[in-house]
Amino acid sequence: MQSWRRKSLWLALSASWLLLILLGGFSLLRLSLPPRPRPRAPQGWPRWLDADLLQSFSQPGELPEDAAQPPRAPHGGSCNWGSCFDTSKCRGDGLKVFVYPAAGPISETHRKILASIEGSRFHTFSPDGACLLLLLSLDAQIGECSSMPLQWNRGRNHLVLRLHPARCPRTFQLGQAMVAEASPTVDSFRVGFDVALPFLPEAHPLRGGAPGQLRQHSLQPGVALLALEEERGGWRTAGTNFSACPWDGRCKQDPGPGQTQRWEMLPNATFCLISGHRSQAALRFLQALQAGCIPVLLSPRWELPFSEVIDWTKAAIVADERLLLQVLAALQEMSPAQVLALRQQTQFLWDAYFSSVEKVIHTTLEVIQDRIFGTSAHPSLLWNSPPGALLALSTFSTSPQDFPFYHLHQGSRPEGRFSALIWVGASGQPPLKLIQAVAGSQHCAQILVLWSNERPLPSRWTETAVPLTVIDGRRKVSDRFFPYSTIRTDAILSLDARSSLSTSEVDFAFVVWQSFPERMVGFLTSSHFWDEAHGGWGYTAERTNEFSMVLTMAAFYHRYYHTLFTHSLPRALRTLADEAPTCVDVLMNFLVAAVTKLPPIKVPYGKQRQEAAPLVPGGPEPGPKLQAPDPNCINQIAAAFGHMPLRSSRLRLDPVLFKDPVSMQRKKYRSLEKP
Amino acid sequence: MNEAISLRSSSFARLPGKTLQRCPDSSCPAGGAAPAAPACAVRLVSDAPEPGRLPGAGCWLPWTRSWRWRLAIRRDQTRAEVPRAPRHEPVTERGAEREAAVAEECEEEAVCVIMCASVKYNIRGPALIPRMKTKHRIYYITLFSIVLLGLIATGMFQFWPHSIESSNEWNVEKRSVRDVPVVRLPADSPIPERGDLSCRMHTCFDVYRCGFNPKNKIKVYIYALKKYVDDFGVPVSNTISREYNELLTAISDSDYYTDDINRACLFVPSIDVLNQNTLRIKETAQALAQLSRWDRGTNHLLFNMLPGGPPDYNTALDVPRDRALLAGGGFSTWTYRQGYDVSIPVYSPLSAEVDLPEKGPGPRRYFLLSSQVGLHPEYREDVEALQVKHGESVLVLDKCTNLSEGVLSVRKRCHKHQVFDYPQVLQEATFCVVLRGARLGQAVLSDVLQAGCVPVVIADSYILPFSEVLDWKRASVVVPEEKMSDVYSILQSIPQRQIEEMQRQARWFWEAYFQSIKAIALATLQIINDRIYPYAAISYEEWNDPPAVKWGSVSNPLFLPLIPPQSQGFTAIVLTYDRVESLFRVITEVSKVPSLSKLLVVWNNQNKNPPEDSLWPKIRVPLKVVRTAENKLSNRFFPYDEIETEAVLAIDDDIIMLTSDELQFGYEVWREFPDRLVGYPGRLHLWDHEMNKWKYESEWTNEVSMVLTGAAFYHKYFNYLYTYKMPGDIKNWVDAHMNCEDIAMNFLVANVTGKAVIKVTPRKKFKCPECTAIDGLSLDQTHMVERSECINKFASVFGTMPLKVVEHRADPVLYKDDFPEKLKSFPNIGSL
Repeated sequence: MQSWRRKSLWLALSASWLLLILLGGFSLLRLSLPPRPRPRAPQGWPRWLDADLLQSFSQPGELPEDAAQPPRAPHGGSCNWGSCFDTSKCRGDGLKVFVYPAAGPISETHRKILASIEGSRFHTFSPDGACLLLLLSLDAQIGECSSMPLQWNRGRNHLVLRLHPARCPRTFQLGQAMVAEASPTVDSFRVGFDVALPFLPEAHPLRGGAPGQLRQHSLQPGVALLALEEERGGWRTAGTNFSACPWDGRCKQDPGPGQTQRWEMLPNATFCLISGHRSQAALRFLQALQAGCIPVLLSPRWELPFSEVIDWTKAAIVADERLLLQVLAALQEMSPAQVLALRQQTQFLWDAYFSSVEKVIHTTLEVIQDRIFGTSAHPSLLWNSPPGALLALSTFSTSPQDFPFYHLHQGSRPEGRFSALIWVGASGQPPLKLIQAVAGSQHCAQILVLWSNERPLPSRWTETAVPLTVIDGRRKVSDRFFPYSTIRTDAILSLDARSSLSTSEVDFAFVVWQSFPERMVGFLTSSHFWDEAHGGWGYTAERTNEFSMVLTMAAFYHRYYHTLFTHSLPRALRTLADEAPTCVDVLMNFLVAAVTKLPPIKVPYGKQRQEAAPLVPGGPEPGPKLQAPDPNCINQIAAAFGHMPLRSSRLRLDPVLFKDPVSMQRKKYRSLEKP
Repeated sequence: MNEAISLRSSSFARLPGKTLQRCPDSSCPAGGAAPAAPACAVRLVSDAPEPGRLPGAGCWLPWTRSWRWRLAIRRDQTRAEVPRAPRHEPVTERGAEREAAVAEECEEEAVCVIMCASVKYNIRGPALIPRMKTKHRIYYITLFSIVLLGLIATGMFQFWPHSIESSNEWNVEKRSVRDVPVVRLPADSPIPERGDLSCRMHTCFDVYRCGFNPKNKIKVYIYALKKYVDDFGVPVSNTISREYNELLTAISDSDYYTDDINRACLFVPSIDVLNQNTLRIKETAQALAQLSRWDRGTNHLLFNMLPGGPPDYNTALDVPRDRALLAGGGFSTWTYRQGYDVSIPVYSPLSAEVDLPEKGPGPRRYFLLSSQVGLHPEYREDVEALQVKHGESVLVLDKCTNLSEGVLSVRKRCHKHQVFDYPQVLQEATFCVVLRGARLGQAVLSDVLQAGCVPVVIADSYILPFSEVLDWKRASVVVPEEKMSDVYSILQSIPQRQIEEMQRQARWFWEAYFQSIKAIALATLQIINDRIYPYAAISYEEWNDPPAVKWGSVSNPLFLPLIPPQSQGFTAIVLTYDRVESLFRVITEVSKVPSLSKLLVVWNNQNKNPPEDSLWPKIRVPLKVVRTAENKLSNRFFPYDEIETEAVLAIDDDIIMLTSDELQFGYEVWREFPDRLVGYPGRLHLWDHEMNKWKYESEWTNEVSMVLTGAAFYHKYFNYLYTYKMPGDIKNWVDAHMNCEDIAMNFLVANVTGKAVIKVTPRKKFKCPECTAIDGLSLDQTHMVERSECINKFASVFGTMPLKVVEHRADPVLYKDDFPEKLKSFPNIGSL
């Protein structure tokens, strides 16, 4: 009995083994026997016996010498930068742009754009001195199409700027003119010559513009992975189940109520799948960018905006539509780190280059200026990391280490010394005590006195350990922020002659600044608020629990902000600051906040002087008290910026042991606590 | 030891979870001749309890008593191995695969085992097992011989063709290039169309061939080498050149290579078209067209470095090639198909011959050097005019006319009668002119880069090598031909620092992408690969940043300057073991903080259940208890799905001394610094000069470099980093030592963001949160020693000391100011 059982058991076993071996065992066995010694690269490219005897592909001397004629590139129907743009006109001070005045009535938008270009540093009124002649063809509505301008010259050095796709037939040959238009097709786009613009909706804000939608860095859990465009123009979110989606990306699955979003709504998903018709897709692309939804473009036939300078691989995924399923699988597998970086980049790009018409136009001009500059153009890093090339001027430097923004990326540190810039305004008294206090700091490299006063320069100054330079400035307040070539350190301590600081306050503030080189570090603060009663912004210097500005009468900041203040702010704003000197603080704070998107930093300030301090850096006459600042000022500046860049902070940075119940001997910045 | 093993091995059949698996090959007598065959070793694998395993998939071999018995008597030679079960192995879709693998392995084992058994039966059987009937024995022997025969047959079938192939290949490898198969091309065989200038990846490239590739790597096939002759037996081209052979070898050795033509995505013909001058154009085209997968050239890649021929010198290969991709060395904007073709360098054979050691950046003897021979007279006039104008700082070299015999003229250049060694002379110049010749692409570019000389490229419309990915602005100066007379002033306007940067960059480009044919081939394939799998593409930084920059650079994962909205609030995570009373107090305290949005208790005690729901304090926010599988410190930093906010407050279950104002203020500070650790008790690391190592410091110092995570705010993303991206074995080390998880977190965050911590609020008397024992100075000291050890260990794992020391802490704006307390936002701060 037992033997039978055993026998049948063995029989069954052997039979099944045989079957297995015969049927599936072959392949399994092959897999399971890797240790069989195999040639390293099976059937690879052979190692020839006589490989060493082979001849080189080019024999020395074979190269043709003295070719009959220096070959020239054929000037076909196509242009490139070298052959169709004459940079010799742009030698002097970079890009100068002349804008053709519009013939006939112009729309409000057109007028505003003109005004914005005229306010910029690129503009010139003379067509002869201009290096670039700009032909605006903006008005889609009016239907009036521009005709051939006078200075046309076969379109040489001309840029035809079309914000919206042309609705009128071309009335003249473009010739050698560059074209900046929205989402040009890949085939018509001349790389390195034309400029690809974003496809702006008609109601795009002129300046300022809505900020990106991303309110937090990481994803909220439960956000849909993918948003798909809808035929009616909205977005629809899809879950992670792609099996319902056929190849064309449209999911048969019924979206169900509530999942379809209206046109105005921006997609709320991690990835936005964009394909389809050019203008439609380009518009969607911009929407996705604003929403912080990573655009996934399927074989776009159009050029991505500003692709010459923007590295779109950091913010979008351009994939082949034929590999859709694989793309979708790859999206699902994408690491959180990669998603995080892509999303943040969409927001940065939106905010830096696309959120307003003004930014788009300035970016266009900046792209062309970079071509003219050649080696002194913006490095790619400046274009592709915050705060962006519009706010990081390549005229300041082309080395990222010189800017306050890229120290982390470069692995560098700001310089360990600072220059004190003391502005002597109305009082006309040489600030001897202040000079002594500042010169006492171990970090002080030099002291500059900006004598902006009717009185003659005093002949004698105190002896200091550091070099002291006196600049006989003009009488304008905005001179305080002029990029003097004598300032050689990264950090500037901006002071008013009437400020009073102690050496240890200066020391501590500078050490703090080194941790935050892109921000302003100040002692005295004020804050802005929305004034319901007047329907505008207001600001106050009263002590509150938060602040959004530091007074520049005693503040550390990077010297780059002088360049930015002088060269990037519209002329009108600088004039405003000159006319109303209290404004200069506000303006500088606006500027830095617009760049950093962060609040300034406050450090402790000696107690008894705080009461005496609220003096304003006045103009030639003793300035008004800060308690009564001109509310117009902040509103005018906010209007010029197009938005309110100021951010509030609720903290102050103190020394680690500040006012702690420990022995004074242990503390490094003792005098900060003295009553 | 032996006893334990015997216990296990004798009881394994009764353990439901254990399966007998391995009998190593060596222990299986193949033919049955070895009478004293060593017994099969047994490995017990305890992976059976996994729910993902199907019982049917494992090998449940119905062993009988005799088996166990046999094993038992041979236990002195038995080796038992009990691997540790993986801790939290999730059941994934890969489970099925694993099962298949296991099953497969089992089969093999089982066969072995059967064979062992048969041996036993035959030789030692009579002595050890009850005698069987002869009939049965014969039966079994027949059976097993059938099995054996089957196996042998399988083996023959499987391996016979392979062995033939490999021996064949051996012959192939010993072959000469001269005896390859000859293919005769009839004069009227088809010729491909000329290249289509409008080709793009999405129109001319068949991407379906590259689909379904888990590694995101394209597969490249190389056609076998053949010799093509025309009707008259005259060869179509020279034999393969040394460089092309190297190039194909490099591809063949790379990860891209496949020998299966059906799985290939890209095809590389072995027809050498590197130099157009050596080719018969029409016949070469015919040869291309008859390749087995040619299909109008779709997905074929041709490498060409010297295109065109006299008199007009086209800038792309003249061989009609239809849709084939061209990796060409002299493209102009007119012939280059953006995003389809790849622009490659013209390889300079000198790269391999001459070893130029890297020369540091800095001013060099000559400012500008022209070293090319055979310049067009017009250009030569121009550069000589430069020399006349600027004197000593410009050097114009030409070939030597009066060299004695035996001197390699390629390696010499002359200026008047002065002889210079080439390419060594390039190292003497800051800028080197790379002028166009008859062709746009010049091999001198490679020499110039190798010498760390900044190339001044004067060749209108030339597409620089790998311009799709390389940022040439960083390594070269491009000057239009008509501006040649201004070259000097253009170059002089470049600041010295930028020049040094460019010199470094030039050398790096050469090292990475020009140095060898292999580098050129791999970069080309990488570019094409990146187009096909853009989501796995190499970034701009990886292509362009030299290693030194990559090493020093920090890319903050939270680089966007954002202040998260206050409304979001934070999630408090309390790690607890069993101090319920203290835990409840912490919960009550923390729940008073206005911005708290959720409370998560991580219950790290497996032996004890958390208190019942009714016993927990009633708080206004959701409270959730997570039970962990193991008592590990890392559990505190796990990115639980329950964390819905960005901000996380990690708090120990004994931190009851923090006031609600202090916690709320801490959250406000975190909002302003969302990429940092914001914590309460601060610590410092110091360099101990006597011991020559790092030291941990908890005294009252003026500096801070760490905060304890016993009470700290941070971004949730760092939880993800801690759990999944912690370098080295730090995580296991921390769990094993039950210490220093906070130091590890400080290292991690500082390393990835490059920023310092923020300590908030004045020093408080914490009940020594990091001390395990309260009393005893010596205990305290061992604690400090341990912590110091941690710092040294982590610093060595990170390879650097990422911690940043700062001298500041964050206080409310009006902290300790002379201001009415009731008007302050955070009055209750700093009380002891």
